Amino acid sequence: MNPRVLQDVAQHMASQDEEFTMLFQDFYPSLCRFLECLLGGRKELAQDLAQESFLQLHRTAWGTLPQGEARFWLYRVARNFAINEFRKSHTRFRLFDRVVEAMRPTTRNPEEEYETRERKELILKMLSSLPEDQRVALLLREHEELSYRDISQVLNVSESKVKVDIFRAREALRKRWEKGKAARASAAS
Amino acid sequence: MDCNYTEKISALIDGELSAAETRELELHVLGCVACQEAKADFLSLRTQISDFPVVFEPVAQREALARILGTKKGATSGSGWRWVFTPAVAGVAALLIVGVVIGLLLYPKSKPAPQTPEDQIANNQRKKPTPAPTSSPAEGAKDRNPSTPRTAPSGDKNRTPNKKRPPVIVEPPEANIAASVDPEPARVRAADTETMTAIHFQKAELLLRSFRNVRANKPNSSAELSYEKRLAQQLVYQNMMLRREADASGDAQVASLLESLEPILLDIANLPAKPANNEVKVIKDRVERKNIVALLQVNSTALARALD
Repeated sequence: MNPRVLQDVAQHMASQDEEFTMLFQDFYPSLCRFLECLLGGRKELAQDLAQESFLQLHRTAWGTLPQGEARFWLYRVARNFAINEFRKSHTRFRLFDRVVEAMRPTTRNPEEEYETRERKELILKMLSSLPEDQRVALLLREHEELSYRDISQVLNVSESKVKVDIFRAREALRKRWEKGKAARASAAS
Repeated sequence: MDCNYTEKISALIDGELSAAETRELELHVLGCVACQEAKADFLSLRTQISDFPVVFEPVAQREALARILGTKKGATSGSGWRWVFTPAVAGVAALLIVGVVIGLLLYPKSKPAPQTPEDQIANNQRKKPTPAPTSSPAEGAKDRNPSTPRTAPSGDKNRTPNKKRPPVIVEPPEANIAASVDPEPARVRAADTETMTAIHFQKAELLLRSFRNVRANKPNSSAELSYEKRLAQQLVYQNMMLRREADASGDAQVASLLESLEPILLDIANLPAKPANNEVKVIKDRVERKNIVALLQVNSTALARALD
């Protein structure tokens, strides 16, 4: 075995691993958050699926994707994993039940903790009420700050569909929010 | 209260409108209460959704990354050392050190009484202190201790075997020193090549499976093929190097498989951006005729098993 050739191949592999490590450090936390919101607050499952997505990337597509494409690829695969999960366990019908148990407070102050928890719960409930297409598009926009064009690449749909989905998601959430506000006001009076 | 412009408000806050549209809409918003409310509500929703915390757990994250990279993490990269010192690995390392120390302490006690030089030579001929360099992976696997702790998950086939294995401390008799020193580098190199060849076979198999599944008559076939083309371009280089090495080391089976794989990789890599259906079909037929996917699978599995 020629050591130089071996060294070349090993170097090539090592440099790919370093790039992969950087990508992982940059996007793993946000991919977890994206999946957690998509799955209605199932944090552990979100982390599993995020890791599964990165593993898939590392084993199959890494090194073949053009610069900057890996992120879109990851979100696309992660979203597909989440959809599979919905189908597998009929999560759709149990999302609301799981929201409360999945909450993990991150603050120490009990008041802050309570508020954070309430807010998180409310957001998850509101997001869970949206159709899956709209929810993914809105999360990619608001969390990941992707442009409509990028979102359309991730979801493999047209830009105009992304635009409409995001608008409908916002309108639905707005109406839900108004309704909730009215209910709270009537309960208080 | 509704306004026809509300839909555009959503695009406005996302910065997706042209400069002219933005100006026009902002002028409209100044005089439209419904749009002002919609804009305020959308922005408020944005704040609430984006406030959803990102949980940063460095230890768990490092462990996850180590698990993912564990399949290929034989060669340590620049930042690789950080992942090695996880609590679990540190525990295993401590146990190994304690074991080695106890072994070294007990070893002199178990040593037999001094023998005559003739006896030593006779004993040295009977027992082999270090495993002989194995040219075939199967032999190497047989010699390996099955209770050796594994760091990677059992399903991983790409693991580089030599890096994390604890060093076997064997005191070679003087007569065998020359024999046991020389072949060691050859054994390490052979194992590295086999790991790389196994990884290469797996990647090539994935590529060919993916290529086989491409539907050339669909309108988006060119977009689908760009992935296969890129992967093939990457694999051609590795294939050439590994084939030369297999030729040089006399591994005829691997060399022949790599040789039949190479033209296929080249053909896929050189396909035009929008290949005609028959061009794709010709390559697919060749892949089928040579039964190369099955051969790759068999060989990569055999190599990976041998390396485990």
